[in-house]
Amino acid sequence: MARHSSGPIYTTEAGVPVYGIIAEYTTPADLYRAAEMVRDAGYSRWDVYTPFPIHGLDEAMGIRRTRLPVLIACIGLTGAGLGFLMQYWMTAVDYKMVVQGKDPTSWEAYIPITFELGILSAAFTAILGMLAFNKLPMWNNPLLRKDRFLRCSDDRLMICIEASDERFDQEKTRHLLEAAGGTNVDLVEEEPEKVKTEGTGH
Amino acid sequence: MSSASSHMHGSLGASAHDHDHHGPDRAHLLREENITLAPGAGRGISTALLGAGAIGIAAAIIGGTMMGPHGKAHALATLHVGVMTCLAMALGCLFYSLLFALVRAGWHGTIKRQFENVAMLVPFIGVGIIGILIADLFLGHPLFSWMGEYKDDFLLREKASWLNPGFFYVRIIGYVLIWTFLARRMSRLSQEQDRTGDRWLSAQAGGTGAWGMLIFALSLAFGSFDLLMSTDFRFFSTMWGVYYFAGAAYSGIALTILITATLKRKGKLDGLVTAEHYHDMGKFLLTFTVFWAYIAFSQYFLIWYSNMPEETSFYVARKLPPWDKVFFFLAFGHFLVPFIILLFRPIKKNLNTISLMAIWAILVEVVDMFWIVRPMVYAGDAHDTMGMSGLWIDFVGIAGVLAVFAALVVRKVCSGRLVAINDPYMHEALEHKNYV
Repeated sequence: MARHSSGPIYTTEAGVPVYGIIAEYTTPADLYRAAEMVRDAGYSRWDVYTPFPIHGLDEAMGIRRTRLPVLIACIGLTGAGLGFLMQYWMTAVDYKMVVQGKDPTSWEAYIPITFELGILSAAFTAILGMLAFNKLPMWNNPLLRKDRFLRCSDDRLMICIEASDERFDQEKTRHLLEAAGGTNVDLVEEEPEKVKTEGTGH
Repeated sequence: MSSASSHMHGSLGASAHDHDHHGPDRAHLLREENITLAPGAGRGISTALLGAGAIGIAAAIIGGTMMGPHGKAHALATLHVGVMTCLAMALGCLFYSLLFALVRAGWHGTIKRQFENVAMLVPFIGVGIIGILIADLFLGHPLFSWMGEYKDDFLLREKASWLNPGFFYVRIIGYVLIWTFLARRMSRLSQEQDRTGDRWLSAQAGGTGAWGMLIFALSLAFGSFDLLMSTDFRFFSTMWGVYYFAGAAYSGIALTILITATLKRKGKLDGLVTAEHYHDMGKFLLTFTVFWAYIAFSQYFLIWYSNMPEETSFYVARKLPPWDKVFFFLAFGHFLVPFIILLFRPIKKNLNTISLMAIWAILVEVVDMFWIVRPMVYAGDAHDTMGMSGLWIDFVGIAGVLAVFAALVVRKVCSGRLVAINDPYMHEALEHKNYV
């Protein structure tokens, strides 16, 4: 399903729904300024594609900080707490066991496994949460069907504003990207499978 | 944050090819009034601190002398706690000085002078250590009891090749000389670079960092065996050197945070030490909070499990009343509470909150040293209730030593430029930003 939240559904001249509009930039400084303009225009469903990391782009794009650390902390602490309780229950409640003459309730003996389980659950949350928040794995992307997009792995920096954005307007968005210094501003077509599903739906 | 965001376009340059065109205005940031204090600045405060420190130390000594049979040992142990805390801070700063030179760190150009300043106070601490050893000698070794009351202890026989007075005193002098040499060398290279602008001096400092780190690590470990672990001579732990190092790196970065924060409150270092630098120094504080806990628990855990009397005696004495309170205070105060607080990024980036955490770090380091040294004073009266009495002596004595140290820090910091202006990586430090 395409994520057309509201507003009109745009199509290309051939009648294929539009995924978004893409524009090319040649230097990080140009891209940086363009990203700030798109950000200030209030768009939310858009992304920047570059062959190398550019420091400070997150701020230029107005991307807020990830909430993943909060999730990691909560699940990590839960894992550690459950690990502690599990050992307490096993060695001091369910099947009392005296090892080396120690009191079964000795907290010291529980710490390594409590620590390990805290780390384990936090690490799994970090990896799986990162994948989920980034909508990965993503096997295909409509942009990959554009030949010029391949230059993103070489010498071009690109911005794509998606049609599912509430503020998307085929003309205004194109003008914005051009005003921001973009070249080869072009429409990107939605993936055929999605078009088909949508077609049968109507 | 405002100063950081005003250089946003400069930070872009760091990734591209043209930082010279977009970089922050170096000449403006490194303007003379931003990196130098007025002549005579800090003289009043350092004199006041010196006076207060002298009064505190004198009060501890007089109070101890009047307190009864163990009073003098009590006062001596108190001063030893203070000196060991100051030594931890100085060695912590020496560690950062060596480490950042070794790894060619770029971000610390604007704070490295403070590491050098604090490390340069090692000779003064050496004087303090020698003073304590002389007092210990004249009082019949109440602190290093393996030279006095217990010198014929059978557990000492096997250790006599290491723990014998002659070798011991030579070693102590040796440690102080090694630390002084390393601190002076790092400081001299950096000061010379200030004058000549010779970039190769940084490469020399990096080379010193390589072999210096090795002898630093060994001298710190053996120094902590001799100065701290031997106060409880029956006990031994191979983890001990790392334990003291963890506290040293922890309190060393804390002191650096406090020094730069104080200078910033005086209107200096504007735009030079930014929220980004505090973020990173805060990360070091967090790192060594965790590292200390990891080392402290590992040491405790293995000894607890293997349950051998000559090892457990150390913890048994320190987990019995009244020291058990200190033991649990350390678990929460030296680890759990600062760990959770320092996880939050805004706390690390805010000058006020990170300063509070730095003050806390130095206080818990004092408590840590107190927990190690102080129980030995009344160890002869095994597990008596005398332990915590006369706590006011500890307060004034430790505060006195810390005040004298603070006076020396103020005097040293005020004695020259606040920034190593010709650091070859200065552009990185000026544009420093955490991209996460």
